[in-house]
Amino acid sequence: MNNLLSISLFLPELVLTATIIIAIIVDIFSVSNRTSKVSNYVIIGLLATLAAVFLTNHSPTTLFMDSLAFDPFASFIKSVVLVATLLIIIFTRYSNEFKGYHTGEYYALLCIMVFGMFLMASAIDLITVYLSIEVVSLMSFILAGYLKNNPRSNEASLKYVIYGAFSSGIMLYGLSIIFGLTGTTKFFAIRDAITTLDSSSNLALTLSTVFVLAGFGYKISAVPFHFWTPDVYEGSPTPITAYLSVAPKAAGFALMIRFFNQVFVDGDSLSTLGWYADVSFAWPEILGVISVVTMTMGNLVAIQQNSVKRMLAYSSIAHAGYMLMAFPTISSEGVFAVMIYLVMYLFMNLGAFFVLIYVAQKQGGENFEHFSGLGWRMPIVGIVMTIFMFSLTGLPPTVGFIGKFYLFVAVINAGSAFYWIAFFGAINTVVSLYFYMRVVKTMYLDGNPSEEIIVPPLSVTLILLVLAVPSVFFGIYWTPILNWVNNSLLFFVQI
Amino acid sequence: MDNLQTYLYISAILFSLGLYGVITRRNGIAVLMGVELILNSANINFVAFARFGGMNFSGQVFALFVIIMAAAEAAVALAIIINVFNNLDTVNIDDARELKL
Amino acid sequence: MYRDFGTVLIFAMLAIVLVYVPLFIQSLVAPSQKTPDKLDNYECGEEPEGSAWVQFNIRFYVIALIFLIFDVEVVFLFPWAMVFKEMGMVAFIEMGIFLLILIVGLAYVWKKGDLDWVKYNVKYGRGRYRQKASQTEGEAVGSI
Repeated sequence: MNNLLSISLFLPELVLTATIIIAIIVDIFSVSNRTSKVSNYVIIGLLATLAAVFLTNHSPTTLFMDSLAFDPFASFIKSVVLVATLLIIIFTRYSNEFKGYHTGEYYALLCIMVFGMFLMASAIDLITVYLSIEVVSLMSFILAGYLKNNPRSNEASLKYVIYGAFSSGIMLYGLSIIFGLTGTTKFFAIRDAITTLDSSSNLALTLSTVFVLAGFGYKISAVPFHFWTPDVYEGSPTPITAYLSVAPKAAGFALMIRFFNQVFVDGDSLSTLGWYADVSFAWPEILGVISVVTMTMGNLVAIQQNSVKRMLAYSSIAHAGYMLMAFPTISSEGVFAVMIYLVMYLFMNLGAFFVLIYVAQKQGGENFEHFSGLGWRMPIVGIVMTIFMFSLTGLPPTVGFIGKFYLFVAVINAGSAFYWIAFFGAINTVVSLYFYMRVVKTMYLDGNPSEEIIVPPLSVTLILLVLAVPSVFFGIYWTPILNWVNNSLLFFVQI
Repeated sequence: MDNLQTYLYISAILFSLGLYGVITRRNGIAVLMGVELILNSANINFVAFARFGGMNFSGQVFALFVIIMAAAEAAVALAIIINVFNNLDTVNIDDARELKL
Repeated sequence: MYRDFGTVLIFAMLAIVLVYVPLFIQSLVAPSQKTPDKLDNYECGEEPEGSAWVQFNIRFYVIALIFLIFDVEVVFLFPWAMVFKEMGMVAFIEMGIFLLILIVGLAYVWKKGDLDWVKYNVKYGRGRYRQKASQTEGEAVGSI
């Protein structure tokens, strides 16, 4: 589709851009420090964007001369990202970490990040791949270091920017080699060119794909590229930590799915397990190993943590590992499972982080000792946190169980070659039971229960319910999500 | 001189130098310089491939975008490093160890 | 055409040789006694005080960063200028929107006071600038 025609299908992004500009302008002209005004505008803008995402209905096509895809899969990821962003804005308004900071531009930066993730979800051109990853990364660097006077936040952003710039540089070099080998930046043309490559370029192609994988792996914090994750997650303001663990990860997975699907696999039906055998070297095995190592590392280190925030950071690495399980199968069932898991993970992880924000505020810290006896002192918070912990472990009847169930089914259905991945996944789930249950144990069995009962204010209860109710409800009746994902599992395909 | 190989060699050398800089330097600014070398080596690749491969303009366009992004990244990274220096009195990555690694 | 550059090449090589051969010869001949005083920085004969890594005023960096961003954006204007005649009004409007967004950024910087040499509405970090700021600007240090 040419440039002018694409604009009508680019509506969500346009609304988002308008939101960003309005947020900045409002921030410029707001005299006082009352920044909730900006967040109101931003919430309205994001809701309008969400509406625009649902309103732009069209058969799958490409925008702006084949640089962006427009398909239900992209819209799905966009909606997930938007829901996460809206929740995070509410978290931020509630959190007291930003006391004394001007938060006007915070919301604008958040929206720019959303814009980047929109592009990530729909990029089908190497240029847009690089641009979108960079836009998201740059905004995350700033947001991680938003607490300017807090040395921990500073350090988080310093480490983030060093690792981020480095891995995006590596990725760019890989992209340049792919461009050189195939002579094009469009995914579909690359796929066609790869099939005609002679075997002498295999090494270059493999090397460049490893480089590109470094960029993707950094975005989803898969293991060899995960070093930044724990420190950044611990040092950043908690709402940002929650956000980084959900939204960019969803977008990163979307980008990775699209890249591997459309460049290395047939890309359309997704039904065949056929990686292009002649050029790909053992990609399924490599991705499988990365997945297993990622979840094992995440879980094993999470066990040793004393800070709940850091524990959740490592657990988010482990969850990236679970989602990676479905990649080697590269079947529509695998992609389906990842999409379901992303939705489920959104609720449970954001929920756990919101409880953390609330508890840190009330108890003055984020370590396990601050949670002791919490189950008796704050009954509602205790029950809700227990739900989230059960869910993160993957116990029924919670969303975590459903998500994991589909992942394992996808892996096992893909054939006996992938059984070992499922095996390690199961062992890891058992390991993760230990540290998630440690939170529950600390809340109910430690500390002295004979203190007064604290009931959180209505707004907090409401947010907790908004996150906890779906965590249980969709664990029992998940058909709506199933249908949504089913309808969204449609990629743009070039014939 | 005027062939693709030369440029690829130059870009590979630049890439290695950048990698070396990123890995060995502990000074935040020096690491950033290494990253810039890596980005520019990729840029050389893009432009050289586009020029000698008889390809379309995508390579040059890509290089333009990379220049912009490199500038933005440098700006953000320098701002962060200034801020870190303001708070911690150091730009050394290893000295910033408030968070355990 | 290449032959013209040959002359340049010869001059360039000659320049390099003329610089490095004397340096090389003197490194062979000259005695090398390294004392701490010799390795020190030369500051007009005075004892050097402190590190050579002195602080530039932090405002230089801020101005430089802002300049960097707005300077590099011009890269987009050149290709645009090349195709402007063919694309006509559409290109004009597109670039207008692009520049408008940039102007919003400029207005933001302006309003935040980052273009002023003495920034009045900044609370400095807990680092060394805090004291300096409160000494020099006194009451001007307010909230962010």
